[in-house]
Amino acid sequence: MRNRSVWLLAGLVLVASLIIGPATAAPQKATAGTVVFIHDQEPPNLQGPWVGNNLYATALVLNNIWYGCQIRDATAAFVPRLCVARPKLVKSNPLTIQLEYKKSAVWSDGKPVVAEDLYATWKVYTNPANNVISRTGWEDISSMTRGNSKKVTIVFKKIYADWESLLSAGHYAAHVIAGKTMNDTFLTSVPVSSGPWLFQSLQKGVQITVRKNPRFTAGPQMKLDRLVFRYILDTNSRFQALKAGEGQVMEPQPQLQIADFMKDSKFKVDTKVGYTYEHIDIQFGAKGHPALKQPYVRQALITGMNRAQVAGVLYGEIAPGLPSLQSLLFKPFETASYKKNFAARPFSQKNVISLLKSKGCTGGPDTPSRGNDKIFSCPNVGKLSFRFHTTTGNQLRALTFEIIQQQLKSVGIELQPRFQTGGVMFGTTLPSRDWDLMLFAWVGSPSSSITAKDIYGCGGDQNDGAYCNRALTKVLEKVSATLDAGERAKLLNDAEAKYMVKDIPSIPMFARPLFVINQNKVKGPVVNPTQEGSPWNINQWTTS
Amino acid sequence: MLTYIIRRLLYSIVVLVLASFLVFTFVTYSGDPLAGLRISPNVSELTVQNVIERKHLDDPIPKRYLYWVQDAVTNEFGTTLLDNRPILPELWRVMKHTLQLVLAVQLLVIIFAVLIGVYSAIRQYSPFDYTMTGFSFLGLATPVFWLALMAQVVVVQIYERTGHRLFPIANLSDVDPGTGIHFWIDRAHHLALPVLVLMVAGIAGYSRYMRAAMLEVVNSDYVRTARAKGLSERRVTMKHALRNALIPLVTLVALDFGTILGGAVVTETVFSLDGMGLYFINALLANDPYPVMAFLMITAVMIIIFNLVADIAYGLLDPRVRYD
Repeated sequence: MRNRSVWLLAGLVLVASLIIGPATAAPQKATAGTVVFIHDQEPPNLQGPWVGNNLYATALVLNNIWYGCQIRDATAAFVPRLCVARPKLVKSNPLTIQLEYKKSAVWSDGKPVVAEDLYATWKVYTNPANNVISRTGWEDISSMTRGNSKKVTIVFKKIYADWESLLSAGHYAAHVIAGKTMNDTFLTSVPVSSGPWLFQSLQKGVQITVRKNPRFTAGPQMKLDRLVFRYILDTNSRFQALKAGEGQVMEPQPQLQIADFMKDSKFKVDTKVGYTYEHIDIQFGAKGHPALKQPYVRQALITGMNRAQVAGVLYGEIAPGLPSLQSLLFKPFETASYKKNFAARPFSQKNVISLLKSKGCTGGPDTPSRGNDKIFSCPNVGKLSFRFHTTTGNQLRALTFEIIQQQLKSVGIELQPRFQTGGVMFGTTLPSRDWDLMLFAWVGSPSSSITAKDIYGCGGDQNDGAYCNRALTKVLEKVSATLDAGERAKLLNDAEAKYMVKDIPSIPMFARPLFVINQNKVKGPVVNPTQEGSPWNINQWTTS
Repeated sequence: MLTYIIRRLLYSIVVLVLASFLVFTFVTYSGDPLAGLRISPNVSELTVQNVIERKHLDDPIPKRYLYWVQDAVTNEFGTTLLDNRPILPELWRVMKHTLQLVLAVQLLVIIFAVLIGVYSAIRQYSPFDYTMTGFSFLGLATPVFWLALMAQVVVVQIYERTGHRLFPIANLSDVDPGTGIHFWIDRAHHLALPVLVLMVAGIAGYSRYMRAAMLEVVNSDYVRTARAKGLSERRVTMKHALRNALIPLVTLVALDFGTILGGAVVTETVFSLDGMGLYFINALLANDPYPVMAFLMITAVMIIIFNLVADIAYGLLDPRVRYD
């Protein structure tokens, strides 16, 4: 019996060993030039902006591998990288752009970066067989220089206002992708780089390692030997891992734990307001509450919300002084364009009550009161009781709802919570238009204002609130074909002040703050609010 | 016995088919898997349409289910929804990691639970018994996620005060784990904290079973007879009582093993261990029904197999049990 047990145990150990299998070989040993960057989400593969992989996490790894003609710095301004200077607008009709690559712009295998690389990239994005996330802009190009020239001329079929962003996108190496099926390429490795770092290894479920590209001479080289992206899904664990020294840099979502690091002398916290903004969409369609089609009701809603208080309560500890958002088209970060247009709708509970009464609404309170339970009913549109949708599992949104629910209840407007998972809310409820008010965020970028017609234009692709103002739509269409950024900003600000502040298609709440936390021994990381992320200036990062 | 096994396996196939259809239906109805794609800026309708066509998302659910069955049977569970990644290689990878965790936990839990259970039973109502009973109730009542977070906090506090990191608090390996024996030492180091956390509830539960089974056995007639024959207490306990008291525990362990192979979801998430549980959570967060289905099917198969193993083991260990 004893012998049988021993054999059984030995057999189990053998089977377990076979199943578990041999270990993978480890990369080079740690050096002082290694920085570990803790991130929440692991890129599913290394394809870049492909369907299912349109992630910031992927951009963080690939931005410094597939370099662009220019990149956006921490102020979102374009800075030439592979190019000698910023691309030049040669002609408006047809839109013609010229750029020139630096002589020092070379791939890590020694081949020069040339016109053929940008041409190949254009063809990747416009090939209908490729599952790229977006072809916007690329499909508007009619011709481009080919071959080994360092100078490139690009001619567009029609005006594409955001052409500069297009040329900031990373270029593929033509000689590497030639003959490849792009949907199956770069899944687990990237063989070359035109940027400051090279792909080194991928340990699925754990980390991605990139190392200094010794052949990068188009700009300042990395001082670090390598950067390791470590993936930790759980929020608390990420913060604990940073404290425990398992990583040195992190870009956390706005979380209360950041306050601990702000007080800790061993860490540096950099913060900036970003492009992503929370807002409350209003339903103008047939399935929405009829009261919401009345301008005075929408005006009562925005006037009854103390948006500054909401921002203060949510972010007071980690981003003190975060302002409420006063524009739907620009963010406070965009100092040259941002105008506080919605400041014309200041918080005033007394004004809400007098406005509603002046329109013949009855049954509400006479004065604002926290304990009020009287709700207004208005002529022909009924009781001011609205379904309020937002996503589950987001504490900040739940708190936002609780605050504004109380604020509006004080003035006789009721909000009924309808919390749903992101999948159900964005996939089913939002496009169904069967909702009244919906709190969510638009993920913005420096180019968002150019495509504002998609959200606020009549019949826009993402206009699920069914808002329509023909005059505004005309302006937004003009904006998307205006090449001068200053002129675009003026058109948009004038239109927002004239139409959107009056119509209130949506209530801006606040732009989310962004953070970078790093151990003091790592120098260099600062918030970059664009898709470049904090490693945009990796050449300046050092560690002691 | 063979007839019994074949009959159980045939029942299991029916159960699997029904379960897979129900789960597929529920997962499909739980939301639009393309929701994230639809609200992404600049995503063209053509892009969305390509995915819909590739994955037959506009077909009725029974038809989609059949496509899924075809993929599962002939194409190793097929590929993920959006980026077309093969599912099975990823599942094998995470299964290996979960197996490492689960084997370590179960082995240690059984050793400690048996020792505690036996000693508590033969020293019933002693201070040790009371202490262990108290710890067991505490262990059973403590939520795993809380214990895991507290374990991390304690390790971090020790690190901040002494500069010494007792255990890593996240991931399966170090940035540079090395190879061969160094790799396995590093892996054991990384698994130490999650194993300790999972052991608490495991020992708490199993030691109570062991104590109860042992108490029943030590008061039975045949044990009294063994003592009357003049055998030493040690021999009575180890040879006569313990072997019989282990029967219910073996059954329980076999039943549990199938379930926990599905991944210690909470522990793997908190400690960021690349196992079945974390794979499942990531698939859910990505709103991707195909890896979710593959995970659920593999877990279901494991549970069915280990239920069968438990029944067979029970029959082998207890000669009174017979199968029709």
